Amino acid sequence: MSADVAAGSQSAVAHVERLLRQTGVAIRGAFSRRDGRATFGVASVSYLLVYLAGLRHLGFGPWGVELSVVADPLARATRMVSPFQWEPVALVVAGPVELLVSPLNVALGTALAVLVGVNLAVSVVAYRGPKACKIGPGAGAAAGLPGLLSGFACCGPTILLVVGLQASATVLTVFQWLVPFAGLALVGTLLWVGTNVDLEA
Amino acid sequence: MTMTRRDWLRATGALGVVGLAGCSGSGGSGGGADQPNRTGGETGQSTSAARRPPTADRSLYLGHDIEHVSDNIVSGGVPKDGIPAIDDPKFGPASAAPLDPGDPVFGVVRDGKAKAYPQRILVYHEVVNDTIAGDPVAVTYCPLTGTAQGFDRGPVEFGVSGRLVNSNLTMYDRGTDSWWPQVLATAVRGEMQGATLREFRVVWTTWEAWQTEHPDTVVLTEDTGFQRRYGTDPYGSYNPKRGYYASAQTLFAPLESDDRVDPKRVVLGTRTTEGALTFDKETLLTDRVRTGDIGGTQYVAVADDALSTGYVYANPESVSVNAVEDGYRVGGETYTADSLPLERSLAFDGMWFAWAGFYPGVDYVR
Repeated sequence: MSADVAAGSQSAVAHVERLLRQTGVAIRGAFSRRDGRATFGVASVSYLLVYLAGLRHLGFGPWGVELSVVADPLARATRMVSPFQWEPVALVVAGPVELLVSPLNVALGTALAVLVGVNLAVSVVAYRGPKACKIGPGAGAAAGLPGLLSGFACCGPTILLVVGLQASATVLTVFQWLVPFAGLALVGTLLWVGTNVDLEA
Repeated sequence: MTMTRRDWLRATGALGVVGLAGCSGSGGSGGGADQPNRTGGETGQSTSAARRPPTADRSLYLGHDIEHVSDNIVSGGVPKDGIPAIDDPKFGPASAAPLDPGDPVFGVVRDGKAKAYPQRILVYHEVVNDTIAGDPVAVTYCPLTGTAQGFDRGPVEFGVSGRLVNSNLTMYDRGTDSWWPQVLATAVRGEMQGATLREFRVVWTTWEAWQTEHPDTVVLTEDTGFQRRYGTDPYGSYNPKRGYYASAQTLFAPLESDDRVDPKRVVLGTRTTEGALTFDKETLLTDRVRTGDIGGTQYVAVADDALSTGYVYANPESVSVNAVEDGYRVGGETYTADSLPLERSLAFDGMWFAWAGFYPGVDYVR
């Protein structure tokens, strides 16, 4: 019995190792090509900008040049103002562009943006390239969906005005979990891509 | 609108001490647990009077049982103090304020001292713990119900609990952590449950009108201690009106629905110990005098043309109030809208759904 359990554990570990190796191959493959790197760059930067705009941390305002920082920015930076949103510590105005700098939100947005970028890069390369790995074009769409979800998540209840929903305890709870769900979904999509890689190809 | 925020802050730095001088504390979050006790009596603990907001001698009429209101408090999607009150407000001269003429401001005059609180700032903070003419006060604003109200706060400050009832801001006091829905001005949960705050009038008007009427006014600056994009309102815009403010949709279900009027229609409402009454604001500004009653007592509303607002008076003798070119004729004398020789009943603007939700069946004077 214990031998069976041990064998099962070893099998599961081996499976995860293989999955990670396959995913690694897919990512390295994507980044070895120019279209993969371009897709990653465009998708990541675009996603981060949309994420910050969704938070209303990035947008247009009266023309000016300004940099102002709150007193005690380190303490403020970790003050949560709503689920997965933290206090901005600085305002940057450059021409018509206004940017509120919340370090933890920039870090979170960057992490999500990197995941979205990697997902799309792998999918685009798989779709356009030779059969380095056997991934269908559906992977691209699957990778984009969680990114879209987390984009909604960043806007909070005000997005309800747009979609015509009334806030309720359930709806607010769902919104609170969209960001971690999006992160998990992006990692899951990437690993799923890995399952489609043929290491012997 | 060409002045940058930094220019504005620099220009107003000297005046900032006006707001600083009277502030009673540094504005820590305070308040204790996220969930206050349902009533103070249950715990046997109480907070000394020194850490309580001052209360009114008489309780205001509530349209619902207090427990019903308490049970209908919901999360607004932000934690306690997630919307930070301004505890160290700084004020600047009117000439330097980065406001458009039609921008809404909330005006307060106390002992001849006029202050304006721009809506574009309060939409991000909802509570300003200020001191006016030596009196510690809280100027409060709820974007979702369109209500701006002032309260005496005594030695304690108010904060934003992150909870709503009937879409209305539920404040907490940092002394007892009791919860106070703004429109009700009454604690519905916590040690002070059932107590009523002392209120004062806050006028919702435009920056142009306020500045014309009070040229010496000072204005709350964007030097709030927080970084926000104050020019952008997360709910829409009042100048021109759009987004949530123009939509017939509410974000949260009201306590009671009443389809006599568009949910976001602005009414001037008043409530007394006996009941509540609302006047259609647009009609009041056009007709200038409207009357209604609470419990058989007549109440008369008159328009203040200069500030596009109104005042409500108890008129138990049903004396004649007539609009004339330069004011209102009462008993052979002419008075301005805010000085009729009758007992003033505190009134404030609000969205119809908010008044109808808190005071089911409230009279609506068109």
